[in-house]
Amino acid sequence: MLKINNYSKTYGGGKKAADNVTLHVESGDIYGFIGHNGAGKSTTIRAVVGVLDFEEGEILIDGHSVKDEPMACKRVTAYIPDNPDLYENLTGIQYLNFVADVFDISAEDREKRIKKYADTFEITDALGDLISSYSHGMKQKVAIISALIHEPKLMVLDEPFVGLDPKATFQLKEIMHEMCEKGTAIFFSTHVLDVAEKLCNKVAIIKKGKIVASGTMEELTEGHSLEEAFLEAENEE
Amino acid sequence: MKNKSILLIKTLLLSTSQMNICKHSTDKKKKRKAVISMVGFGILYLMIMFYGILYCMGFGKSGMSDSIPVMCAMIVAALAAILTFFKTNGYLFNFKEYDMLMSLPFSTKTVAACKFMYMYINSLPWYMIISVAMLIGYAVYEKPVVCVYPIWIVLSFFLPVIPMLLASLLGFVVAWIGSHFKKSNLIQAVLMFAVGILAFMLRYIIEAVVKNGEVQDALEQSKEAIDNAAGVFLPARWFSEAVTKLSVSGILLLTGVSSILFVIVFMIVGGSYRRINSALKSHAAKKDYKVSAQKKRSVLNAIAFKEFRRMTGSTTYLVQGGFGEVLITIFSIITLVMGFDRIVEMITSGAPVDPAILRPAIPFFIYFFLGMVSTCACSPSLEGKNYWIVQSLPIEKKTLYKGKMLFNMYLTVPFMVFATICFCVSAKVPLVETILDLLLGFALLAFSTCWGCVCGVRHMRLDWENEIEVVKQSAAVSVYLLPNMFVGMGVIAGVVYLGMYVDHKLLAGGFILLISLLAALSYKRVMSLAKRR
Repeated sequence: MLKINNYSKTYGGGKKAADNVTLHVESGDIYGFIGHNGAGKSTTIRAVVGVLDFEEGEILIDGHSVKDEPMACKRVTAYIPDNPDLYENLTGIQYLNFVADVFDISAEDREKRIKKYADTFEITDALGDLISSYSHGMKQKVAIISALIHEPKLMVLDEPFVGLDPKATFQLKEIMHEMCEKGTAIFFSTHVLDVAEKLCNKVAIIKKGKIVASGTMEELTEGHSLEEAFLEAENEE
Repeated sequence: MKNKSILLIKTLLLSTSQMNICKHSTDKKKKRKAVISMVGFGILYLMIMFYGILYCMGFGKSGMSDSIPVMCAMIVAALAAILTFFKTNGYLFNFKEYDMLMSLPFSTKTVAACKFMYMYINSLPWYMIISVAMLIGYAVYEKPVVCVYPIWIVLSFFLPVIPMLLASLLGFVVAWIGSHFKKSNLIQAVLMFAVGILAFMLRYIIEAVVKNGEVQDALEQSKEAIDNAAGVFLPARWFSEAVTKLSVSGILLLTGVSSILFVIVFMIVGGSYRRINSALKSHAAKKDYKVSAQKKRSVLNAIAFKEFRRMTGSTTYLVQGGFGEVLITIFSIITLVMGFDRIVEMITSGAPVDPAILRPAIPFFIYFFLGMVSTCACSPSLEGKNYWIVQSLPIEKKTLYKGKMLFNMYLTVPFMVFATICFCVSAKVPLVETILDLLLGFALLAFSTCWGCVCGVRHMRLDWENEIEVVKQSAAVSVYLLPNMFVGMGVIAGVVYLGMYVDHKLLAGGFILLISLLAALSYKRVMSLAKRR
């Protein structure tokens, strides 16, 4: 579903934020992308969702190139950034309708899905209020609902659990499992290794822009914890 | 399936609509602010309309009402070009919700074109108010046939399109060049200053080209300049021919060229849109920083320095905060080189004005440029979502406001001193009067700083989507800038008049006392607001 081949990105000042990154996410995978702050996770994710321009490598979503066929890629992808910048002066429901309109979701389907996920995240009552009045967690919930509204084939999430309350975190993990069973590929970055260990079937560790370890959870941990595997990969030069 | 462009434009408009806030906000204070803002803009539109009609009356009474259509086209075009150019960074590029929009299935061309259309629709009321006002003035004197009215109104929608597209293209070039440099903000700001200064000087350049050496009546000269400009700026000619001669070719050319240019510009912009935004939104990173000796500052200076870094980190802030300083510095150097008398002669187009009578107005003239800075530095609004940082620190509000005001003084006083000395040396102002002018300049800046802070705190807005909303379109800017500029111009005229009868030293002394009093009252108001807000 998602193929990143030899992707590199260099910022002004000469820092290589992503260096020859290669990883493949299959349908039904929950793929964790871990690394410390500034390791290159968001730089990779932003390139995957078509936000960031890049010079080297190739990124394919459902067989389409992000560079050459961005629209085909975006139609099947949902992205939740780490700090969602939503339109503050729209109400929650206005924003969700905007996204549903963009993906051409029928009135019945959007009503059903908005109701389902808004009830799950206990945000239904607040949907008529302006987003500017929401807490960070509520904004995150609206961003998640907007990502789920078109039933994407690939979900890309940048630190999705930051700001969510424990119940919402649990609900999101449940939804991720549910989506994965339906064949959706999920690619997400996180700092929370416990979550990644319990949730993901595949993991990649990125350090200074380079993938230092990747594979199935079993291959990576080899009977140890993910935390130990991560620290070992981090300490290797 | 809904048209995605229309959907996006509608959403962009809704997301900044005061009406939407009124309808859905549960915060009464926010609702009240939205209503005040709408009423304020309504009053402003009426004022502009009134001014536009009066302007046409002047032309009509002088028997030059046939030039009103060209004049209308030129004013709308100039306004559209300037406003658009300074808004491209923030509206077309480098905007906050870029990631969210680009991750949705919109093509880059659609996003860029919709952002342009949003900018166009947002500023359309200004252009339409001017155009309708001038149509009324034209109708009073020329009594045109009925079909002129709908043609004028419909073509008014097209009038700003070509200048806006050209300004966007120029803004795109600036962003494109900036995106190739590590310090893209600084490069963009420098290029914007250069274009802005060129636009500011354009009138004199055109005059220098078309001048025939004779002293003419100001209105006649203005008419000649407008007619000449219309010969160069074709859309003005097409508009004029469409409404005065009912020329079909004029109508077709204006509408056709606007539409074709729109397509061409967004084909060009769309091609590099993502690359430019990626570069502008990324920050240069060094890998080799070593912690060395750090400098300790007082709390006030720390706030002022933070404000300085905030300014240099934002092209919008840097251009707004630095434009007045750059202009007055250039003006001062030119005055010093060319001589005060020669400059006065140039500005008054050779009218028989004794340069000496303008000397008392020097501090006010300098203030006219430097006073516009106080809409940014003194206002807490630009903190936006980061306001929590200063709120959570163990500093009182009054300390924060003092720090911001201190930065505004650091930013403006050196330029005021330089400009006053240049002007006074050039105009051969005696030493005592020069010192008084410096004191008056200081008092004016203290007033503008404190009053700017009052406006900024009273109309604080932290939930902006785009810096431009605070820097150019906020209620605080309208309340501060417009009266300040209009009153400023009136005061300059008043001072020149008084200077003919009252001694310069006495006049300056009187104004120092008066302005200092106003500054003190404004400062007191800031401190009282700090206790409440």
